[in-house]
Order: sequence, then C-alpha cells, then structure tokens
Amino acid sequence: MTIDWFPLSLSLRVAFLATVLTVATGLPLAWLLARRQFPGREILETAVVLPLVLPPTVLGYYLLVVISRRGPLGHFLEGLGIELAFTWRAAVLAAWVGAYGMFVKAAQGGLETVDARLEQAARTLGRSEWSVFWLVTLPLAWRSVLAGSIISFCRSLGDFGITLMVAGSIPHVTQTMPLAIYDAVQANRLADANVMSLVIVGLVSLLLLGVSRLARLRA
Amino acid sequence: MLELSIRKSLGDFALDVAWASEGEVVCLFGASGSGKSLTLQCLAGLTRPDAGTITVAGRCLFDHERGINVRPQERHLGYVFQGYALFPHLTVEANIAFGLFDRPASERRRRAGELIEQLGLGPAATLKPGQLSGGQQQRVALARAIAPEPALLLLDEPFSALDAPLRRQLREEVGAIIRRYAKATVIVTHDLAEAFQLADRIVIYDRGRVVQTALRDDIIAAPASEHVARLLGFRNVLRGRVQAVDADLVSLEWHGQILTAPIPPSTGPLSAGQEVTFFVRPEHIRFVPKDRPPRRDGRMNRLRASIVDRADLGASYSLRLAVEGPDRATAELLEVDVPRLVYQLLGLNRDPHWEIAIQPSAIQLVSGASSRKA
Repeated sequence: MTIDWFPLSLSLRVAFLATVLTVATGLPLAWLLARRQFPGREILETAVVLPLVLPPTVLGYYLLVVISRRGPLGHFLEGLGIELAFTWRAAVLAAWVGAYGMFVKAAQGGLETVDARLEQAARTLGRSEWSVFWLVTLPLAWRSVLAGSIISFCRSLGDFGITLMVAGSIPHVTQTMPLAIYDAVQANRLADANVMSLVIVGLVSLLLLGVSRLARLRA
Repeated sequence: MLELSIRKSLGDFALDVAWASEGEVVCLFGASGSGKSLTLQCLAGLTRPDAGTITVAGRCLFDHERGINVRPQERHLGYVFQGYALFPHLTVEANIAFGLFDRPASERRRRAGELIEQLGLGPAATLKPGQLSGGQQQRVALARAIAPEPALLLLDEPFSALDAPLRRQLREEVGAIIRRYAKATVIVTHDLAEAFQLADRIVIYDRGRVVQTALRDDIIAAPASEHVARLLGFRNVLRGRVQAVDADLVSLEWHGQILTAPIPPSTGPLSAGQEVTFFVRPEHIRFVPKDRPPRRDGRMNRLRASIVDRADLGASYSLRLAVEGPDRATAELLEVDVPRLVYQLLGLNRDPHWEIAIQPSAIQLVSGASSRKA
C-alpha cells in the first residue's frame, strides 16, 4: 500500500496561505468591531458570522459566482492572466471564506479585553493610532489573535464543501486531504482513508492542545 | 494659562462648567459623578464636549464654533489615569520612555534614566508594573506623564487605588513631585483632605456645575454659600437672624439664643433682621466643667445643652447636643467633637446636661449668606 501524500502537502500549503489571508484581512475588521461605533455595525457583525452557519454548498456557490470567468473578480483577474476557479487559489479562497468569521470573532474578543484606557494613555503620550495598535493593543491581545489563527488553520485544513464547489477535486491539482479521504472511501480504499484521517486527527489535536496552552498562559 | 468653558451631555447628566487657572495646582473637588473626571477627559481630548472652548498655555485646544478639536496626540498634556493604566507588558523603563519616541535614542535613555533615578525607581527599572507596589506604580505613572515635559499635568483620582495609610504619605510625595516637575497641574479628587493638601486653587463641582472657584485659603475662610459649606463637609451649618451690629462683631439671634460672632471682611454690610448662614466648627465647642466656677467673659457664647447621641470614634467622641430653646419645647442639634481624654476627665458619660461655651471666633459667617434661594 502506497499512500499519495500530495493531498496532505496541498492541504498544508492551502491552509497556511488561507490563514495568512484570514489574519491579514480579519485583524482590521476585528479591530473595527472591537473599538469603533458606526452605523451598520450590527449588520456587519452578523454578516461576519453568517458563513459559520450557512451550508457550505451555498457559500461555495456564491464564491463560484464571484470568481468564475463570468464573475466580477474572476473576470477582472482573467484580464491579468490569473485563473481562479478550479485551481489551488480557489481552494485558498474557499478555506478563507470558511475560517474568516471564526478568526474575526476570536480576535475581536481578545481586542475587547484590552483596557481602552491603556490606548488612551498611549494617545495622550503622543502615539499615533497605528502605534497604539502595534505597541499596546496587539501585544496585549496576541494570545487571542494567535489562538484564532490556529483555529482558522484547523478549519482551513478541514474544509470540504466550499472547496469542492469552487476548486473541484482534481487529483494532484486541487484535491486536498478531506477530498482525498472522501475519494478513498468512495473507491473502497479504506486503509488509505484510515491513515489519512488519523493524520488529520493527530495534527489538529496537536494544534488544539497549543490553543488550550495559550488560554492557560493568560491566567 | 488654562481657560475652560465647556458643555457636555451624557444621557441625563449635563456638564456645564467654566473655570480658569494661572498655572498653579488646581484641585477639582466634588462628589463622584459630579463631572470632574469628564472635565479632565475633555481637557485631554479623550472626550469631545458638545460646546465651548478650551485654551491651555495660549493654545486653543478646542473651540466648538471654530471647529477646532486638537487630537489627544497633539495636545501635549500629561495624563495620570485613575488606577494608573500602566502598560502591563512593558518594563518600568519602557513605560516611562513611551512618550519620548520622537527624541533621539540617547536623549530618550537619558531622560527616562534621570526620572527613574530621581523618583527612586532604580531597583524597579526592569520590572513590569504587575510586580510593583501601589506607591511605585503611582510614581511610574507620574514619571511617564511628566517625561515628555507636558504643558499641563492632569491627575484623575491619583490616590483612589491605594490603602488609607499609604495615602497620606503619598500625598506629600506626589505634592513634592508635581511641584518639582510640573508647572500647571489639575487634580481630580473627591477627598477634601487631598484637595486642601495639594491645591493652590480649588474648583468645587456639584452635579455638573461649578459652585465656587477660589484660592485654597479663601475657600476655607469663606465658602461662597451654605451649599458650598455643606459640600466641604462643614458641620453645624446653621441659620440665624442679625440682631445688632457692633463694629467688627455681630449679634445673631439663633433659636432664642444670642450668639456673638466676628464679621468676616468678605461679607457685605449686614442689617438687623437679615437672615444669615453661619457654621460652628465641631472641634471649637467646649464643655464648661461643673466643678469650676465659670469664668466671666462677656464675649463668650454660653448655651445650655444636653447630649442626645454619642459615637465613639476611638481617639475622640462625636457628640450630638440638643440646645435648649427658651420655650424648652424645641431643640436644635449641634455636633461636637471631643478628644477621648477630655471626654473622660469631664465625665461626659455620666451626665447628659451641660453648659457649653463657644468662642466668637469659632462662629463663622458664610459670605453671601442669603444667596441660597429657598
């Protein structure tokens, strides 16, 4: 029995890139929700959580509408020679859509626990809003932000539905670990499915252990 | 040097205050919830007033009508927060140097090092705030605010995070620090002793308004109204009627008794029949010993009273006296503080009926006595 390790390596790469994308795009929104009052705030907060409860196929469908050649983003990128739908890039976007809300909620919770007076103190000492965030807010909320990133990574590693809709399950191109496991079961290669599942369980368990360590560090 | 006139509504609380300082140490005194801290936040630019103007050292920081609202970053004011708000993830040294970021590294180190040494924080320089005592935290907060040499230093309830015995000691320490490093200072406090010990000028707040602004000594000698006297915690604030005026003394009719009191210089002309407010300091009321023949002193006010309530405060007793009126039916209450030793020597516990003596100088007329509308 030889196991094809491509799905694992693809999954790790996709999950890593999706996490980077999630943190980069999620942190500003988490800060906005934690620190600013503005009209439409509640609607935005709901919209962020919505992907966590919508069926993955629905999310995948809408994402496909956006990134397909006829969609606004897909059309624009095609002009630049970049193809999205049914490539590994689509798998990254799929994982990002699935993880975004989780990360924003975790990071927002962490940022909200930072005493706003510390930020005000930094302002009265002449520090810009940018410095206040990097020197005061983030250093005091980094555990929650890191925990949120790890959870996002785990979620990205395990995405099935959205990825299937927008990236397909093309072996050695877009077939990530969860899709490969599904394939193996369908083809009655249960030994393969078993090993791959155990690898995922082991990896995610280790990561979650790290998260609970982080939570304990805070106390 | 500092001129402020602002209005701000928060829910059903309305702040509407105006006061000025000439660069001395100003204490905003008042009960919690009277708008003192809100004023400080408006000064620092952390809260935007609804209307008004703020000028510090000739620089307009806020002017509603001209649309000026300088950001807190550019106000150059030092702010010591209630509970200090030290950065818990930074060392003492990094906390103090936090506002010095726009200076060269060598200058930054020099200035922070200088303050650390002068405030006796040397051994704590590399510690985090969580490892410091309350007094040390307070000094770090002061040093952090003072380091960039602000035009104005603001302190919000600087002693509220400390235990009572520490407070007295640290009041002196903080007083010395602000007089050494800061020119102009505004301190928010609800503690009268703090205000009197630290302030040159006191601004008395009450429910979002300023009821009196005066130099510290003037406020003790001449509270502007009965209301202020009560806010300052003066007890035995009483009302009487002018019976006669004789040079610098006035005879007051109070509850069927005649009391002689000096006329303070700030009081306007008094006329017979006028209603006035005055107060008698509880520590200035004396009991006349029963076994000693009373000394005849025409000016001394003597009254008959009976003790109706007593509270043992440890070092002293706080007594409530009912002063007997001429008809003996009604009684007016006076509060008296008696040291424990005197209480025991006189045998105040054995007999409720006493003659009390009040020196004229212990009776103080409140200037603008009739100003308080009924």
